[in-house]
Amino acid sequence: MEKEKLKIIKKNDVLKFLDSLQKEYEVFMPVERNGDIQFSKFSSEKDFPWNYRNTKISPKEIFFPQSETLFSFKAEESALSSGSMIFKPEDEPEDSISENKNYLIFGIRPCDTLAFSLLDKLFGGDDFQDTYYMEKRSKATVISLACNKPQVTCFCTSLKGRPDNEEGADIILFDIGENILVRPITKKGEKFIESLSSWFEDAKEADIKKKNEIMVQSFQKIRSTADIQNIKEKLDKAFDISFWNEIHQKCLGCGICTYLCPTCYCFNITDEIERTAGSSTSSGGKRIRCWDSCMFSLFTMHASGHNPRPSYKERMRQRIMHKFNYCPENFKEIFCIGCGRCVRNCPVNLDLREMLILLMSFEEIKEDEKV
Amino acid sequence: MIEKIKETVKKLFNEDKIDIFIGYGTGTLPLRTVPCFITSSGDIEKLVWNSYCFNNLAVYLPRFFLPQPQKKDVKLPRIGILAKGCDDRSIVGLIKENQIPRENIYIIGISCNGMIDVGKAQNYVCKMQEVEIISAEEKSGSILLEDEDKRKVELKKEDILADVCECCQYTNPLIYDVLIGEEVKKNKNEQQEAFIKEFEKKPLEERWKYFQEQASKCIRCYACRQACPNCYCKECFAEQTKPKWIGVTDNISDIMFFQIGRIFHQAGRCIDCGACVRACPMGIDLRIFTYKLIKDVKEFFGYEAGISLEEAPPLATFKSDDKQEFITEP
Repeated sequence: MEKEKLKIIKKNDVLKFLDSLQKEYEVFMPVERNGDIQFSKFSSEKDFPWNYRNTKISPKEIFFPQSETLFSFKAEESALSSGSMIFKPEDEPEDSISENKNYLIFGIRPCDTLAFSLLDKLFGGDDFQDTYYMEKRSKATVISLACNKPQVTCFCTSLKGRPDNEEGADIILFDIGENILVRPITKKGEKFIESLSSWFEDAKEADIKKKNEIMVQSFQKIRSTADIQNIKEKLDKAFDISFWNEIHQKCLGCGICTYLCPTCYCFNITDEIERTAGSSTSSGGKRIRCWDSCMFSLFTMHASGHNPRPSYKERMRQRIMHKFNYCPENFKEIFCIGCGRCVRNCPVNLDLREMLILLMSFEEIKEDEKV
Repeated sequence: MIEKIKETVKKLFNEDKIDIFIGYGTGTLPLRTVPCFITSSGDIEKLVWNSYCFNNLAVYLPRFFLPQPQKKDVKLPRIGILAKGCDDRSIVGLIKENQIPRENIYIIGISCNGMIDVGKAQNYVCKMQEVEIISAEEKSGSILLEDEDKRKVELKKEDILADVCECCQYTNPLIYDVLIGEEVKKNKNEQQEAFIKEFEKKPLEERWKYFQEQASKCIRCYACRQACPNCYCKECFAEQTKPKWIGVTDNISDIMFFQIGRIFHQAGRCIDCGACVRACPMGIDLRIFTYKLIKDVKEFFGYEAGISLEEAPPLATFKSDDKQEFITEP
């Protein structure tokens, strides 16, 4: 990017700036809540947490909420009286996207924008478009904030990420002290800055120098790495290896790793039928999709009672295979961004980084080679 | 103590008394350990014992003894397990509920003067995530932390003990095959119940509001359930589809139904190990509700879970003078 396109905005102006955008945008930013940082709608009462590391729940929930009404339906009166139930879809789901505003996602971490770009390949692929995700996604301007201080669990550089990754964002910000350095990435980002030019000044040489220094330090602060080159090829032949026999042992089978993961996208679809008390008929209901997790046994339970992934072993294998083998197969991308949420929040400290390292160095001893 | 543990486990393997041993190994993060499964005496060096051994290991036992209808004459594994007072009482509960056979479990009881709360330690260093702890070293009663800016802080272990450990009345296991460590002094009883008495004094509306607030944080990852040794149901009510008791969304009413259902299923069974609280990624104060049940069961039926293999649990027995005011006048 040419130098002249870099801008600065005063840190002290940022909240005012965001407030002014509320007319046009649904503004999301990291906000302190219950002792953690979460992406929430803009609040002028809370300072922007410039020192925040990352949110506990990934911002995927903005475009892909934990539960979402796909449509609702009502029973037809005429059918009800004859004892049968015929449902007609209603025009608008009640909790549809608010007021048709555009979305502004402000201050998201670069790893999480990378996750957006991965989810885009799934929900917005050539073969199939998920309207519910894409409608929100296409309305969003994503402004990321480069990481000055990666966490001990961050391992983005072992994947495709960097503390200043640009993929998935329209604009990237750099915290350089008093000021914020602003760099547009996409056309949408450039237009956004142009249309609001009164808030910005041109960046000076010193600002850029400072940013570069901070980024060099930031790279150095990423302490953990997992060398997973060619992991897809490794996994191609790994479905039956004995590696899986023990790696899952510690797993409790909860959904923390998948629910907090910014790239896990599996969901369940159910109908919630409204029942009138004391009556066997129903007046209508909703079709809802909500997060689901491959770590739950119910995830693959068949109606017959058979479960193709009956134990923790098959479920753990699925989680790793899906991210590091099936997704590279289908989307040419590993669906892990190294944010470390699963590492940090696992109740038994079952560390994905360690699992990957063990996997990469694992060599199957064939039966006939055993001494 | 760790040498004693290793020695005992080694002996068990060498004398062919166990097939698997479950203990604690070194964690990958500061202030953490990881549950460690060992199948031969060669791996004994992986074992550790420190103030971060807070996971309740009893949770892993039932999965070794699931009914396997297709397989006949399956030889059940013999499992050695390191059990603190809390793990031990969970094991007792599982034996009583016929989830694990006593004869297949070799309990190495270990006296414990409490485990730390990682969140408390983090907050001591710095609120929120502003500074990260990169290493921790434990030395007789204190923990030396180093943060990413190379600053060092020495914390007293007693200042960062988990709430459950501060109140623990069973620092010494009661039922075991071998005991390691010297008897540890019990905590004071008054201190134990202060928080719940304060909560009980609040009006009903306020308590309900608190429950709603806490439930609203839930993301339904089921970590509380999965971390709980008592939650071994083959099919949880929350996931049953026929009949469907509860919706699958993160709607507050679904969440509250799940939480109420899970917590109430703990009546007369919960032993206050704190596994659910520790596992919860969203910091829900689950203990205030589980502890209320413990207290009520104790007051109404004179029963405490996990301390005897013989005494009938309150939900499995009936007396004509059983208290029932809690039903008629809640």
